[in-house]
Amino acid sequence: MEKLSIILEQDKAAFAPRETIRGTIRWNLDAGIRHLELSLFWYTAGKGTRDVGVIETRRFDEPGAVGWKDFSFPLPDGPYSFSGKLISLIWALELTCSPGSETVRREIVLSPTGHEILLACANESER
Amino acid sequence: MRARDNPFAAERLQTVRYRPLNTTFDQILVHLRELNYRGAIIGPEGSGKTTLLEDLQQMLKGKDVRTRLIFVNDTARFDSPACRRLLAELTRDEIVLLDGADLIRRSDWSLLKRHTITHAYGLVITSHHRGLLPTLIECSTNPALLRAIVSDLLPRGHPIPAESLDRLYTRHQGNLRACLRELYDLYAQDHHV
Repeated sequence: MEKLSIILEQDKAAFAPRETIRGTIRWNLDAGIRHLELSLFWYTAGKGTRDVGVIETRRFDEPGAVGWKDFSFPLPDGPYSFSGKLISLIWALELTCSPGSETVRREIVLSPTGHEILLACANESER
Repeated sequence: MRARDNPFAAERLQTVRYRPLNTTFDQILVHLRELNYRGAIIGPEGSGKTTLLEDLQQMLKGKDVRTRLIFVNDTARFDSPACRRLLAELTRDEIVLLDGADLIRRSDWSLLKRHTITHAYGLVITSHHRGLLPTLIECSTNPALLRAIVSDLLPRGHPIPAESLDRLYTRHQGNLRACLRELYDLYAQDHHV
Protein backbone atom coordinates (compact mmCIF):
# COMPACT_ATOMS: atom_id res chain seq x y z
CA MET A 1 0.00 0.00 0.00
CA GLU A 2 1.22 3.49 -0.87
CA LYS A 3 2.17 5.70 2.06
CA LEU A 4 -0.11 8.45 0.77
CA SER A 5 -2.73 8.24 -1.95
CA ILE A 6 -5.48 10.33 -3.47
CA ILE A 7 -8.33 8.39 -5.00
CA LEU A 8 -10.82 10.32 -7.09
CA GLU A 9 -14.46 9.25 -7.15
CA GLN A 10 -15.08 7.00 -10.16
CA ASP A 11 -11.47 7.71 -11.12
CA LYS A 12 -12.74 10.89 -12.74
CA ALA A 13 -9.91 13.33 -13.45
CA ALA A 14 -11.57 15.91 -15.75
CA PHE A 15 -14.02 18.44 -14.40
CA ALA A 16 -16.12 21.32 -15.66
CA PRO A 17 -15.89 24.74 -14.01
CA ARG A 18 -17.86 24.87 -10.72
CA GLU A 19 -18.18 21.12 -10.58
CA THR A 20 -17.38 19.45 -7.27
CA ILE A 21 -14.38 17.16 -7.08
CA ARG A 22 -14.85 14.23 -4.69
CA GLY A 23 -12.55 11.53 -3.51
CA THR A 24 -10.75 9.82 -0.67
CA ILE A 25 -7.30 10.21 0.78
CA ARG A 26 -5.57 7.23 2.32
CA TRP A 27 -2.42 7.11 4.40
CA ASN A 28 -0.20 4.42 5.82
CA LEU A 29 2.60 6.20 7.65
CA ASP A 30 4.85 5.84 10.63
CA ALA A 31 3.44 6.85 13.97
CA GLY A 32 3.95 10.43 15.07
CA ILE A 33 2.32 12.24 12.16
CA ARG A 34 0.93 15.52 13.42
CA HIS A 35 -1.16 16.46 10.45
CA LEU A 36 -1.95 15.88 6.80
CA GLU A 37 -2.68 18.62 4.33
CA LEU A 38 -4.67 18.28 1.12
CA SER A 39 -4.42 21.22 -1.28
CA LEU A 40 -6.25 22.07 -4.47
CA PHE A 41 -4.16 24.33 -6.66
CA TRP A 42 -2.97 25.16 -10.14
CA TYR A 43 0.53 25.93 -11.32
CA THR A 44 2.24 26.89 -14.51
CA ALA A 45 5.08 25.09 -16.24
CA GLY A 46 7.15 26.13 -19.21
CA LYS A 47 9.73 28.67 -20.17
CA GLY A 48 9.08 31.27 -17.49
CA THR A 49 9.10 31.15 -13.73
CA ARG A 50 6.40 29.11 -12.06
CA ASP A 51 3.17 30.74 -10.97
CA VAL A 52 0.96 29.03 -8.41
CA GLY A 53 -2.59 29.62 -7.24
CA VAL A 54 -3.73 27.71 -4.15
CA ILE A 55 -7.53 27.47 -4.10
CA GLU A 56 -8.04 25.63 -0.83
CA THR A 57 -6.11 23.63 1.72
CA ARG A 58 -7.66 21.19 4.19
CA ARG A 59 -5.75 20.16 7.26
CA PHE A 60 -6.32 16.92 9.12
CA ASP A 61 -4.80 17.04 12.60
CA GLU A 62 -3.62 13.96 14.48
CA PRO A 63 -4.65 11.59 11.70
CA GLY A 64 -3.00 8.50 13.22
CA ALA A 65 -0.60 6.23 11.37
CA VAL A 66 -3.17 4.60 9.10
CA GLY A 67 -6.52 5.84 7.89
CA TRP A 68 -8.68 7.35 5.21
CA LYS A 69 -10.90 10.37 4.82
CA ASP A 70 -13.37 11.50 2.17
CA PHE A 71 -13.02 14.98 0.73
CA SER A 72 -14.80 17.27 -1.68
CA PHE A 73 -13.81 20.61 -3.18
CA PRO A 74 -16.05 22.87 -5.23
CA LEU A 75 -14.03 23.93 -8.25
CA PRO A 76 -13.91 27.57 -9.33
CA ASP A 77 -14.75 29.02 -12.76
CA GLY A 78 -11.14 28.86 -13.86
CA PRO A 79 -8.46 29.20 -14.99
CA TYR A 80 -8.87 26.35 -17.43
CA SER A 81 -6.22 23.69 -17.88
CA PHE A 82 -4.31 24.57 -21.00
CA SER A 83 -1.02 24.07 -22.83
CA GLY A 84 0.78 26.16 -25.35
CA LYS A 85 4.37 26.13 -26.47
CA LEU A 86 5.49 28.61 -23.81
CA ILE A 87 3.26 27.81 -20.88
CA SER A 88 1.02 25.08 -19.49
CA LEU A 89 -1.45 25.54 -16.68
CA ILE A 90 -1.92 22.41 -14.64
CA TRP A 91 -4.45 21.70 -11.89
CA ALA A 92 -3.60 19.26 -9.14
CA LEU A 93 -4.44 17.91 -5.73
CA GLU A 94 -1.50 17.38 -3.41
CA LEU A 95 -1.38 15.50 -0.13
CA THR A 96 1.50 16.09 2.27
CA CYS A 97 2.29 15.01 5.81
CA SER A 98 4.08 16.70 8.65
CA PRO A 99 6.59 15.90 9.90
CA GLY A 100 8.01 14.09 6.91
CA SER A 101 8.68 14.55 3.25
CA GLU A 102 6.09 12.15 1.89
CA THR A 103 3.93 13.76 -0.74
CA VAL A 104 1.62 12.65 -3.50
CA ARG A 105 0.18 14.70 -6.32
CA ARG A 106 -2.76 13.91 -8.56
CA GLU A 107 -3.26 16.01 -11.65
CA ILE A 108 -6.76 16.89 -12.79
CA VAL A 109 -8.18 18.83 -15.73
CA LEU A 110 -10.48 21.80 -15.31
CA SER A 111 -12.06 22.60 -18.64
CA PRO A 112 -15.52 23.02 -20.14
CA THR A 113 -14.57 20.50 -22.84
CA GLY A 114 -13.32 17.84 -20.46
CA HIS A 115 -9.86 18.07 -22.01
CA GLU A 116 -6.83 20.26 -21.56
CA ILE A 117 -7.15 23.17 -23.99
CA LEU A 118 -4.34 23.15 -26.51
CA LEU A 119 -3.29 26.55 -27.76
CA ALA A 120 -2.09 26.80 -31.34
CA CYS A 121 0.28 29.56 -32.34
CA ALA A 122 -1.03 32.19 -34.81
CA ASN A 123 0.91 30.74 -37.76
CA GLU A 124 -0.46 27.26 -37.17
CA SER A 125 -4.09 28.39 -36.93
CA GLU A 126 -3.75 30.23 -40.25
CA ARG A 127 -2.61 27.11 -42.07
CA MET B 1 5.32 20.23 -27.97
CA ARG B 2 3.33 21.25 -24.91
CA ALA B 3 5.22 23.52 -22.51
CA ARG B 4 4.78 21.00 -19.70
CA ASP B 5 6.52 18.32 -21.77
CA ASN B 6 9.47 20.45 -22.82
CA PRO B 7 12.65 18.92 -21.35
CA PHE B 8 14.09 22.43 -20.99
CA ALA B 9 11.15 23.88 -19.04
CA ALA B 10 12.10 26.16 -16.16
CA GLU B 11 11.13 23.70 -13.45
CA ARG B 12 13.35 21.05 -15.03
CA LEU B 13 16.24 23.49 -15.29
CA GLN B 14 15.77 24.16 -11.58
CA THR B 15 16.79 20.57 -10.91
CA VAL B 16 20.18 21.22 -12.50
CA ARG B 17 22.50 22.14 -9.67
CA TYR B 18 25.96 23.63 -9.68
CA ARG B 19 28.73 21.34 -10.86
CA PRO B 20 32.13 22.49 -9.61
CA LEU B 21 34.92 22.42 -12.18
CA ASN B 22 38.42 21.70 -10.83
CA THR B 23 37.22 21.95 -7.23
CA THR B 24 34.69 20.44 -4.83
CA PHE B 25 31.91 21.80 -2.65
CA ASP B 26 33.98 20.94 0.42
CA GLN B 27 36.89 22.98 -0.90
CA ILE B 28 34.57 25.90 -1.62
CA LEU B 29 33.29 25.77 1.97
CA VAL B 30 36.82 25.58 3.36
CA HIS B 31 37.83 28.59 1.29
CA LEU B 32 34.72 30.48 2.44
CA ARG B 33 35.71 29.83 6.04
CA GLU B 34 39.25 31.04 5.29
CA LEU B 35 37.72 34.24 3.93
CA ASN B 36 35.82 34.69 7.18
CA TYR B 37 32.58 34.10 5.30
CA ARG B 38 33.01 37.20 3.17
CA GLY B 39 33.54 36.44 -0.48
CA ALA B 40 32.39 36.89 -4.03
CA ILE B 41 31.30 34.33 -6.59
CA ILE B 42 32.57 35.75 -9.85
CA GLY B 43 31.69 34.84 -13.39
CA PRO B 44 30.04 35.85 -16.63
CA GLU B 45 26.32 35.49 -17.37
CA GLY B 46 25.07 31.93 -17.40
CA SER B 47 28.09 30.46 -15.65
CA GLY B 48 26.21 29.20 -12.57
CA LYS B 49 26.76 31.95 -10.00
CA THR B 50 23.15 32.07 -8.81
CA THR B 51 22.88 28.29 -8.79
CA LEU B 52 26.03 28.02 -6.69
CA LEU B 53 24.73 30.67 -4.29
CA GLU B 54 21.50 28.69 -3.86
CA ASP B 55 23.46 25.49 -3.32
CA LEU B 56 25.68 27.26 -0.84
CA GLN B 57 22.59 28.25 1.10
CA GLN B 58 21.50 24.62 1.31
CA MET B 59 24.97 23.53 2.42
CA LEU B 60 25.12 26.20 5.11
CA LYS B 61 21.61 25.34 6.27
CA GLY B 62 22.79 21.76 6.59
CA LYS B 63 25.44 23.04 9.00
CA ASP B 64 22.80 24.96 10.99
CA VAL B 65 24.07 28.30 9.76
CA ARG B 66 21.37 30.93 9.31
CA THR B 67 21.29 32.54 5.89
CA ARG B 68 19.34 35.23 4.13
CA LEU B 69 19.20 34.96 0.35
CA ILE B 70 18.47 38.14 -1.58
CA PHE B 71 17.97 38.27 -5.32
CA VAL B 72 18.59 41.54 -7.09
CA ASN B 73 17.66 41.74 -10.75
CA ASP B 74 15.64 43.80 -13.21
CA THR B 75 12.35 42.82 -11.58
CA ALA B 76 13.56 42.64 -7.95
CA ARG B 77 15.23 45.94 -7.24
CA PHE B 78 17.27 46.55 -4.12
CA ASP B 79 16.93 50.26 -3.52
CA SER B 80 18.13 52.33 -0.56
CA PRO B 81 15.00 51.77 1.60
CA ALA B 82 15.25 48.01 0.98
CA CYS B 83 18.92 48.12 1.93
CA ARG B 84 18.18 49.97 5.17
CA ARG B 85 15.36 47.55 6.02
CA LEU B 86 17.74 44.64 5.54
CA LEU B 87 20.39 46.21 7.75
CA ALA B 88 17.83 46.87 10.49
CA GLU B 89 16.64 43.26 10.41
CA LEU B 90 20.04 41.58 10.25
CA THR B 91 21.24 39.47 13.13
CA ARG B 92 24.85 38.62 13.94
CA ASP B 93 24.38 34.92 13.30
CA GLU B 94 23.24 35.36 9.71
CA ILE B 95 25.15 35.10 6.47
CA VAL B 96 23.76 37.38 3.78
CA LEU B 97 23.75 35.76 0.36
CA LEU B 98 23.31 38.50 -2.20
CA ASP B 99 22.74 37.63 -5.83
CA GLY B 100 23.45 40.50 -8.22
CA ALA B 101 25.69 42.79 -6.20
CA ASP B 102 26.62 44.65 -9.40
CA LEU B 103 23.11 46.06 -9.58
CA ILE B 104 23.18 47.81 -6.22
CA ARG B 105 23.92 51.53 -6.01
CA ARG B 106 27.47 52.22 -4.96
CA SER B 107 26.45 54.05 -1.77
CA ASP B 108 24.12 51.20 -0.72
CA TRP B 109 26.85 48.67 -1.43
CA SER B 110 29.34 50.58 0.72
CA LEU B 111 26.84 50.70 3.56
CA LEU B 112 25.99 47.01 3.26
CA LYS B 113 29.63 45.97 3.03
CA ARG B 114 30.61 47.99 6.09
CA HIS B 115 27.57 47.13 8.20
CA THR B 116 27.83 43.38 7.66
CA ILE B 117 31.39 43.30 9.03
CA THR B 118 30.07 43.79 12.54
CA HIS B 119 26.35 43.04 12.27
CA ALA B 120 26.31 39.78 10.33
CA TYR B 121 28.14 36.46 10.33
CA GLY B 122 29.10 36.86 6.71
CA LEU B 123 28.38 38.21 3.27
CA VAL B 124 28.58 36.22 0.05
CA ILE B 125 27.75 37.89 -3.22
CA THR B 126 27.62 37.12 -6.90
CA SER B 127 29.17 39.56 -9.29
CA HIS B 128 30.30 39.74 -12.88
CA HIS B 129 33.50 41.47 -11.85
CA ARG B 130 36.26 41.09 -9.30
CA GLY B 131 36.85 43.67 -6.63
CA LEU B 132 33.73 44.00 -4.49
CA LEU B 133 34.86 41.29 -2.06
CA PRO B 134 37.70 38.76 -2.09
CA THR B 135 37.01 36.12 -4.73
CA LEU B 136 35.57 32.91 -3.33
CA ILE B 137 35.35 31.18 -6.69
CA GLU B 138 35.36 32.11 -10.33
CA CYS B 139 32.60 30.26 -12.17
CA SER B 140 33.23 29.11 -15.69
CA THR B 141 31.74 26.71 -18.18
CA ASN B 142 32.95 24.51 -21.00
CA PRO B 143 31.29 22.60 -23.84
CA ALA B 144 31.54 19.32 -21.92
CA LEU B 145 29.51 20.81 -19.07
CA LEU B 146 26.73 21.84 -21.48
CA ARG B 147 26.75 18.37 -23.02
CA ALA B 148 26.48 16.74 -19.59
CA ILE B 149 23.61 18.96 -18.46
CA VAL B 150 21.67 18.48 -21.70
CA SER B 151 22.19 14.74 -21.49
CA ASP B 152 20.68 14.73 -18.00
CA LEU B 153 17.66 16.77 -19.10
CA LEU B 154 16.81 14.88 -22.26
CA PRO B 155 14.80 11.68 -22.28
CA ARG B 156 16.95 8.60 -22.76
CA GLY B 157 17.59 7.64 -26.35
CA HIS B 158 17.10 11.15 -27.75
CA PRO B 159 20.54 12.72 -27.65
CA ILE B 160 21.50 15.96 -29.35
CA PRO B 161 24.67 15.62 -31.43
CA ALA B 162 27.71 16.93 -29.57
CA GLU B 163 28.73 19.10 -32.55
CA SER B 164 25.35 20.88 -32.42
CA LEU B 165 25.76 21.59 -28.73
CA ASP B 166 29.31 22.79 -29.24
CA ARG B 167 28.11 25.23 -31.91
CA LEU B 168 25.36 26.42 -29.57
CA TYR B 169 27.91 26.88 -26.80
CA THR B 170 30.16 28.94 -29.07
CA ARG B 171 27.27 31.05 -30.36
CA HIS B 172 26.25 31.98 -26.81
CA GLN B 173 29.86 32.48 -25.71
CA GLY B 174 29.61 29.96 -22.91
CA ASN B 175 26.36 31.30 -21.44
CA LEU B 176 24.66 28.07 -20.44
CA ARG B 177 21.40 29.77 -19.48
CA ALA B 178 21.11 31.21 -22.98
CA CYS B 179 21.96 27.82 -24.50
CA LEU B 180 19.25 26.07 -22.50
CA ARG B 181 16.68 28.74 -23.37
CA GLU B 182 17.41 28.32 -27.04
CA LEU B 183 17.01 24.58 -26.67
CA TYR B 184 13.61 25.20 -25.03
CA ASP B 185 12.53 27.21 -28.06
CA LEU B 186 13.80 24.59 -30.48
CA TYR B 187 11.90 21.85 -28.69
CA ALA B 188 8.80 24.05 -28.39
CA GLN B 189 8.77 24.34 -32.18
CA ASP B 190 9.46 20.62 -32.50
CA HIS B 191 12.58 21.53 -34.44
CA HIS B 192 14.94 19.30 -32.56
CA VAL B 193 18.61 19.92 -32.93
